[in-house]
Amino acid sequence: MAHDTWAKECFVPMKNTTILGFVLLIIIAGGVFLFTKNDASSDDITGNAIANNEIQKITLGIKNYNYYPNTITVKEGIPVRIYLDKSVPGCYRSFTIREFGISKNLRTPEDYVEFIPDKKGTFTFACSMGMGRGKLIVE
Amino acid sequence: MSLRLFVNELNGNRVEGELIKTIIYSLMTSFVILAILYLSSLKYINNFIPKYGLFLFLAALSYALILPSVRQVRAYKEFACMPGMMIGMTIGMISGFLPGYFIGATNGMFYGSIFGMAVGILLGILNGKSCGIMGFMEGIMAGFMGGIMGAMTAVMMINDNLKLAGIILFIISSVILIGLNYMIYKETKENERQLKEDHTFTIFATLILISITTWLMILGPRSVLFQ
Repeated sequence: MAHDTWAKECFVPMKNTTILGFVLLIIIAGGVFLFTKNDASSDDITGNAIANNEIQKITLGIKNYNYYPNTITVKEGIPVRIYLDKSVPGCYRSFTIREFGISKNLRTPEDYVEFIPDKKGTFTFACSMGMGRGKLIVE
Repeated sequence: MSLRLFVNELNGNRVEGELIKTIIYSLMTSFVILAILYLSSLKYINNFIPKYGLFLFLAALSYALILPSVRQVRAYKEFACMPGMMIGMTIGMISGFLPGYFIGATNGMFYGSIFGMAVGILLGILNGKSCGIMGFMEGIMAGFMGGIMGAMTAVMMINDNLKLAGIILFIISSVILIGLNYMIYKETKENERQLKEDHTFTIFATLILISITTWLMILGPRSVLFQ
Protein backbone atom coordinates (compact mmCIF):
# COMPACT_ATOMS: atom_id res chain seq x y z
CA MET A 1 0.00 0.00 0.00
CA ALA A 2 2.75 2.41 0.96
CA HIS A 3 4.59 1.49 -2.19
CA ASP A 4 1.52 2.28 -4.34
CA THR A 5 1.10 5.70 -2.74
CA TRP A 6 4.80 6.45 -3.29
CA ALA A 7 4.55 5.39 -6.95
CA LYS A 8 1.52 7.61 -7.53
CA GLU A 9 3.26 10.60 -5.98
CA CYS A 10 6.52 10.15 -7.85
CA PHE A 11 5.27 9.15 -11.31
CA VAL A 12 2.62 11.74 -12.09
CA PRO A 13 1.59 11.12 -15.73
CA MET A 14 2.58 13.97 -18.01
CA LYS A 15 -0.28 16.09 -19.33
CA ASN A 16 -1.05 15.86 -23.04
CA THR A 17 -0.37 19.57 -23.44
CA THR A 18 3.07 19.19 -21.83
CA ILE A 19 3.90 16.34 -24.22
CA LEU A 20 2.74 18.54 -27.10
CA GLY A 21 5.11 21.28 -25.90
CA PHE A 22 8.08 18.88 -26.08
CA VAL A 23 6.99 17.63 -29.52
CA LEU A 24 6.70 21.23 -30.77
CA LEU A 25 10.26 21.98 -29.63
CA ILE A 26 11.59 18.95 -31.52
CA ILE A 27 9.56 19.90 -34.61
CA ILE A 28 10.87 23.48 -34.58
CA ALA A 29 14.47 22.24 -34.24
CA GLY A 30 13.94 19.79 -37.15
CA GLY A 31 12.27 22.49 -39.26
CA VAL A 32 15.12 24.95 -38.73
CA PHE A 33 17.68 22.26 -39.68
CA LEU A 34 15.85 21.36 -42.90
CA PHE A 35 15.06 24.97 -43.81
CA THR A 36 18.69 26.03 -43.58
CA LYS A 37 19.93 23.18 -45.83
CA ASN A 38 20.35 24.79 -49.21
CA ASP A 39 20.43 23.08 -52.56
CA ALA A 40 23.96 23.66 -53.87
CA SER A 41 22.78 23.23 -57.46
CA SER A 42 20.50 26.28 -57.28
CA ASP A 43 23.35 28.83 -57.27
CA ASP A 44 23.57 31.58 -59.89
CA ILE A 45 25.01 30.59 -63.26
CA THR A 46 26.70 33.31 -65.21
CA GLY A 47 26.90 33.56 -68.99
CA ASN A 48 28.26 36.21 -71.30
CA ALA A 49 26.71 37.34 -74.55
CA ILE A 50 28.58 36.37 -77.71
CA ALA A 51 29.29 39.41 -79.87
CA ASN A 52 28.69 38.65 -83.54
CA ASN A 53 28.47 41.29 -86.31
CA GLU A 54 27.83 44.03 -83.78
CA ILE A 55 25.03 42.09 -82.09
CA GLN A 56 25.40 40.47 -78.69
CA LYS A 57 23.59 37.13 -78.91
CA ILE A 58 22.61 34.91 -76.03
CA THR A 59 20.49 31.77 -75.86
CA LEU A 60 18.76 30.88 -72.61
CA GLY A 61 17.71 27.37 -71.61
CA ILE A 62 16.21 25.89 -68.46
CA LYS A 63 18.05 24.39 -65.51
CA ASN A 64 16.94 23.94 -61.88
CA TYR A 65 13.48 25.33 -62.72
CA ASN A 66 14.95 28.63 -63.92
CA TYR A 67 16.53 30.27 -66.94
CA TYR A 68 20.06 29.05 -67.66
CA PRO A 69 22.28 31.02 -67.46
CA ASN A 70 20.41 33.24 -65.04
CA THR A 71 23.02 36.01 -64.94
CA ILE A 72 24.03 37.58 -68.27
CA THR A 73 26.66 40.23 -68.79
CA VAL A 74 26.41 42.51 -71.85
CA LYS A 75 28.12 45.68 -73.06
CA GLU A 76 26.35 49.03 -73.04
CA GLY A 77 25.27 50.53 -76.37
CA ILE A 78 25.60 47.35 -78.47
CA PRO A 79 22.32 45.64 -79.50
CA VAL A 80 21.42 42.49 -77.55
CA ARG A 81 19.45 39.60 -79.03
CA ILE A 82 18.04 36.96 -76.67
CA TYR A 83 16.75 33.56 -77.82
CA LEU A 84 15.07 30.85 -75.74
CA ASP A 85 16.07 27.31 -76.72
CA LYS A 86 13.59 24.44 -77.10
CA SER A 87 14.06 23.29 -73.48
CA VAL A 88 12.18 26.38 -72.24
CA PRO A 89 8.57 25.30 -71.56
CA GLY A 90 5.13 26.91 -71.26
CA CYS A 91 4.77 30.38 -69.82
CA TYR A 92 8.56 30.68 -69.43
CA ARG A 93 8.53 31.53 -73.13
CA SER A 94 6.75 34.79 -72.35
CA PHE A 95 9.90 36.84 -71.83
CA THR A 96 10.12 40.29 -70.24
CA ILE A 97 12.72 42.90 -69.27
CA ARG A 98 10.68 45.69 -67.74
CA GLU A 99 13.40 48.37 -67.70
CA PHE A 100 13.94 48.03 -71.48
CA GLY A 101 10.25 47.70 -72.36
CA ILE A 102 10.64 44.09 -73.54
CA SER A 103 7.64 41.79 -73.38
CA LYS A 104 7.26 39.09 -76.02
CA ASN A 105 6.10 35.50 -76.32
CA LEU A 106 8.98 33.64 -78.00
CA ARG A 107 7.03 30.75 -79.48
CA THR A 108 9.92 29.00 -81.24
CA PRO A 109 13.71 28.74 -80.64
CA GLU A 110 14.17 31.01 -83.69
CA ASP A 111 12.14 33.86 -82.18
CA TYR A 112 14.06 36.50 -80.23
CA VAL A 113 13.84 39.81 -78.45
CA GLU A 114 16.23 42.59 -79.42
CA PHE A 115 17.04 45.82 -77.66
CA ILE A 116 19.88 48.27 -77.10
CA PRO A 117 21.06 48.39 -73.48
CA ASP A 118 21.42 52.15 -73.21
CA LYS A 119 22.08 52.36 -69.47
CA LYS A 120 24.54 50.63 -67.17
CA GLY A 121 23.36 48.64 -64.18
CA THR A 122 21.78 45.38 -63.10
CA PHE A 123 18.29 44.62 -64.38
CA THR A 124 15.90 41.73 -63.96
CA PHE A 125 14.66 39.55 -66.79
CA ALA A 126 11.75 37.25 -66.09
CA CYS A 127 8.83 35.36 -67.53
CA SER A 128 5.61 37.37 -67.55
CA MET A 129 4.46 35.86 -64.23
CA GLY A 130 7.83 36.30 -62.53
CA MET A 131 8.27 32.56 -61.94
CA GLY A 132 11.54 32.30 -63.87
CA ARG A 133 13.96 35.15 -63.42
CA GLY A 134 17.57 36.25 -63.79
CA LYS A 135 19.92 39.23 -63.84
CA LEU A 136 21.07 41.23 -66.84
CA ILE A 137 24.26 43.13 -66.06
CA VAL A 138 25.04 45.99 -68.44
CA GLU A 139 28.70 47.10 -68.23
CA MET B 1 -14.78 30.65 -21.20
CA SER B 2 -15.14 27.76 -23.62
CA LEU B 3 -11.63 28.19 -25.15
CA ARG B 4 -10.14 27.54 -21.71
CA LEU B 5 -12.49 24.59 -21.31
CA PHE B 6 -11.29 23.30 -24.68
CA VAL B 7 -7.64 23.55 -23.60
CA ASN B 8 -8.51 21.72 -20.35
CA GLU B 9 -10.37 19.11 -22.39
CA LEU B 10 -7.15 18.38 -24.33
CA ASN B 11 -6.05 16.61 -21.14
CA GLY B 12 -9.49 15.12 -20.47
CA ASN B 13 -11.35 11.92 -21.24
CA ARG B 14 -13.45 13.01 -24.24
CA VAL B 15 -12.25 12.62 -27.84
CA GLU B 16 -10.52 16.02 -27.50
CA GLY B 17 -8.24 14.39 -24.93
CA GLU B 18 -7.07 12.00 -27.66
CA LEU B 19 -6.21 14.66 -30.25
CA ILE B 20 -2.64 15.20 -29.06
CA LYS B 21 -2.07 11.44 -28.86
CA THR B 22 -3.35 11.17 -32.45
CA ILE B 23 -0.84 13.84 -33.54
CA ILE B 24 1.96 11.92 -31.85
CA TYR B 25 0.91 8.54 -33.29
CA SER B 26 0.74 10.05 -36.77
CA LEU B 27 4.12 11.78 -36.43
CA MET B 28 5.74 8.62 -35.10
CA THR B 29 4.33 6.58 -38.00
CA SER B 30 5.55 9.11 -40.58
CA PHE B 31 9.00 9.51 -39.09
CA VAL B 32 9.53 5.77 -38.67
CA ILE B 33 8.62 5.21 -42.34
CA LEU B 34 10.79 8.12 -43.49
CA ALA B 35 13.70 6.95 -41.33
CA ILE B 36 13.48 3.39 -42.72
CA LEU B 37 13.27 4.68 -46.30
CA TYR B 38 16.10 7.15 -45.72
CA LEU B 39 18.44 4.59 -44.23
CA SER B 40 17.63 1.97 -46.84
CA SER B 41 17.60 4.01 -50.05
CA LEU B 42 16.82 7.74 -49.91
CA LYS B 43 20.22 8.74 -48.50
CA TYR B 44 21.82 7.66 -51.78
CA ILE B 45 19.80 10.23 -53.74
CA ASN B 46 21.88 13.25 -54.63
CA ASN B 47 20.89 16.39 -52.67
CA PHE B 48 18.00 14.53 -51.03
CA ILE B 49 17.70 16.61 -47.85
CA PRO B 50 17.98 20.08 -49.46
CA LYS B 51 15.63 19.11 -52.28
CA TYR B 52 12.94 17.06 -50.55
CA GLY B 53 13.68 17.12 -46.79
CA LEU B 54 11.66 20.15 -45.77
CA PHE B 55 8.67 19.26 -47.97
CA LEU B 56 8.51 15.68 -46.66
CA PHE B 57 8.86 16.98 -43.10
CA LEU B 58 6.03 19.49 -43.63
CA ALA B 59 3.90 16.79 -45.31
CA ALA B 60 4.34 14.54 -42.25
CA LEU B 61 3.37 17.43 -39.96
CA SER B 62 0.37 18.27 -42.15
CA TYR B 63 -1.01 14.72 -42.02
CA ALA B 64 -0.43 14.74 -38.25
CA LEU B 65 -2.64 17.83 -38.00
CA ILE B 66 -5.35 16.76 -40.45
CA LEU B 67 -5.94 13.28 -38.98
CA PRO B 68 -6.90 14.43 -35.45
CA SER B 69 -9.71 16.51 -37.00
CA VAL B 70 -10.84 13.43 -38.92
CA ARG B 71 -10.81 11.44 -35.68
CA GLN B 72 -12.85 14.12 -33.92
CA VAL B 73 -15.47 14.14 -36.70
CA ARG B 74 -15.64 10.32 -36.73
CA ALA B 75 -16.20 10.31 -32.96
CA TYR B 76 -19.43 12.33 -33.22
CA LYS B 77 -20.54 11.01 -36.65
CA GLU B 78 -23.43 13.44 -37.24
CA PHE B 79 -23.52 17.22 -37.35
CA ALA B 80 -26.04 19.93 -38.18
CA CYS B 81 -25.83 21.46 -41.66
CA MET B 82 -23.70 24.54 -40.99
CA PRO B 83 -21.00 22.89 -38.85
CA GLY B 84 -20.99 19.89 -41.21
CA MET B 85 -20.42 22.11 -44.23
CA MET B 86 -17.68 23.97 -42.40
CA ILE B 87 -16.06 20.63 -41.52
CA GLY B 88 -16.24 19.39 -45.13
CA MET B 89 -14.91 22.67 -46.47
CA THR B 90 -12.05 23.09 -43.99
CA ILE B 91 -10.79 19.53 -44.10
CA GLY B 92 -11.27 19.29 -47.88
CA MET B 93 -9.50 22.58 -48.54
CA ILE B 94 -6.54 22.12 -46.19
CA SER B 95 -6.00 18.45 -47.02
CA GLY B 96 -6.05 19.36 -50.72
CA PHE B 97 -3.94 22.50 -50.47
CA LEU B 98 -1.00 21.24 -48.41
CA PRO B 99 -0.24 17.96 -50.25
CA GLY B 100 -0.87 19.82 -53.53
CA TYR B 101 1.71 22.44 -52.52
CA PHE B 102 4.37 19.92 -51.48
CA ILE B 103 4.03 17.73 -54.56
CA GLY B 104 3.65 20.82 -56.78
CA ALA B 105 6.97 22.10 -55.42
CA THR B 106 8.86 18.97 -56.46
CA ASN B 107 6.93 17.42 -59.37
CA GLY B 108 5.10 20.31 -61.04
CA MET B 109 1.59 21.58 -61.33
CA PHE B 110 -0.17 18.65 -62.98
CA TYR B 111 0.93 15.96 -60.52
CA GLY B 112 0.60 18.32 -57.54
CA SER B 113 -2.97 19.20 -58.56
CA ILE B 114 -3.99 15.60 -59.13
CA PHE B 115 -2.59 14.38 -55.82
CA GLY B 116 -3.88 17.41 -53.89
CA MET B 117 -7.36 17.03 -55.40
CA ALA B 118 -7.43 13.29 -54.71
CA VAL B 119 -6.52 13.69 -51.01
CA GLY B 120 -8.68 16.81 -50.57
CA ILE B 121 -11.78 15.37 -52.21
CA LEU B 122 -11.46 12.03 -50.42
CA LEU B 123 -11.07 13.54 -46.95
CA GLY B 124 -13.57 16.30 -47.77
CA ILE B 125 -16.22 13.72 -48.63
CA LEU B 126 -15.43 11.42 -45.69
CA ASN B 127 -15.85 14.28 -43.23
CA GLY B 128 -18.40 16.46 -45.01
CA LYS B 129 -20.89 13.59 -45.26
CA SER B 130 -21.40 13.90 -41.50
CA CYS B 131 -24.16 16.41 -42.29
CA GLY B 132 -25.49 14.82 -45.48
CA ILE B 133 -25.35 15.84 -49.11
CA MET B 134 -24.52 19.51 -48.47
CA GLY B 135 -21.34 18.70 -46.58
CA PHE B 136 -20.54 15.98 -49.12
CA MET B 137 -20.73 18.54 -51.96
CA GLU B 138 -18.80 21.11 -49.95
CA GLY B 139 -16.06 18.53 -49.36
CA ILE B 140 -15.76 17.77 -53.08
CA MET B 141 -15.64 21.41 -54.09
CA ALA B 142 -13.16 22.42 -51.39
CA GLY B 143 -10.87 19.45 -52.09
CA PHE B 144 -10.90 20.20 -55.80
CA MET B 145 -10.14 23.89 -55.27
CA GLY B 146 -7.53 23.34 -52.55
CA GLY B 147 -5.62 20.76 -54.60
CA ILE B 148 -5.31 22.99 -57.64
CA MET B 149 -4.53 26.11 -55.62
CA GLY B 150 -1.80 24.38 -53.61
CA ALA B 151 0.06 23.09 -56.65
CA MET B 152 -0.37 26.39 -58.52
CA THR B 153 0.98 28.42 -55.60
CA ALA B 154 4.03 26.16 -55.34
CA VAL B 155 4.86 26.35 -59.05
CA MET B 156 4.50 30.12 -59.08
CA MET B 157 6.88 30.42 -56.12
CA ILE B 158 9.50 28.10 -57.52
CA ASN B 159 12.14 30.85 -57.95
CA ASP B 160 10.88 32.87 -55.03
CA ASN B 161 10.77 31.95 -51.34
CA LEU B 162 9.26 28.51 -51.94
CA LYS B 163 10.41 26.91 -48.69
CA LEU B 164 9.55 29.88 -46.48
CA ALA B 165 6.14 30.17 -48.14
CA GLY B 166 5.60 26.45 -47.41
CA ILE B 167 6.30 27.02 -43.72
CA ILE B 168 4.03 30.09 -43.56
CA LEU B 169 1.20 28.28 -45.35
CA PHE B 170 1.61 25.30 -43.04
CA ILE B 171 1.41 27.54 -39.94
CA ILE B 172 -1.74 29.25 -41.25
CA SER B 173 -3.30 25.86 -42.06
CA SER B 174 -2.44 24.61 -38.56
CA VAL B 175 -4.22 27.56 -36.97
CA ILE B 176 -7.28 26.89 -39.18
CA LEU B 177 -7.31 23.18 -38.23
CA ILE B 178 -6.96 23.94 -34.51
CA GLY B 179 -9.83 26.42 -34.95
CA LEU B 180 -11.85 23.60 -36.52
CA ASN B 181 -11.09 21.33 -33.53
CA TYR B 182 -12.36 24.06 -31.24
CA MET B 183 -15.47 24.59 -33.37
CA ILE B 184 -16.28 20.87 -33.29
CA TYR B 185 -15.79 20.86 -29.51
CA LYS B 186 -18.17 23.82 -29.13
CA GLU B 187 -20.78 22.19 -31.34
CA THR B 188 -20.63 18.81 -29.62
CA LYS B 189 -20.11 19.80 -25.99
CA GLU B 190 -23.47 18.38 -24.98
CA ASN B 191 -23.41 15.39 -27.35
CA GLU B 192 -22.61 11.78 -26.63
CA ARG B 193 -19.63 10.27 -28.38
CA GLN B 194 -20.80 7.85 -31.10
CA LEU B 195 -17.59 6.02 -31.98
CA LYS B 196 -14.80 4.97 -29.68
CA GLU B 197 -11.78 3.69 -31.59
CA ASP B 198 -8.11 2.98 -31.07
CA HIS B 199 -5.35 4.53 -33.20
CA THR B 200 -5.37 1.92 -35.99
CA PHE B 201 -7.11 4.31 -38.41
CA THR B 202 -4.60 7.11 -37.70
CA ILE B 203 -1.61 4.82 -38.22
CA PHE B 204 -3.06 3.24 -41.35
CA ALA B 205 -4.09 6.58 -42.92
CA THR B 206 -0.69 8.13 -42.13
CA LEU B 207 1.09 5.10 -43.57
CA ILE B 208 -0.83 5.35 -46.85
CA LEU B 209 -0.54 9.14 -47.16
CA ILE B 210 3.16 9.48 -46.32
CA SER B 211 4.11 6.48 -48.46
CA ILE B 212 2.31 7.83 -51.54
CA THR B 213 3.70 11.34 -50.92
CA THR B 214 7.27 10.05 -50.62
CA TRP B 215 6.95 7.80 -53.65
CA LEU B 216 5.47 10.58 -55.79
CA MET B 217 8.03 13.14 -54.67
CA ILE B 218 11.09 10.97 -55.20
CA LEU B 219 10.17 8.50 -57.95
CA GLY B 220 6.91 9.84 -59.37
CA PRO B 221 6.38 11.45 -62.76
CA ARG B 222 7.31 15.11 -63.22
CA SER B 223 6.16 18.00 -65.39
CA VAL B 224 8.51 19.25 -68.13
CA LEU B 225 10.06 21.99 -66.01
CA PHE B 226 11.01 19.51 -63.27
CA GLN B 227 12.63 16.84 -65.43
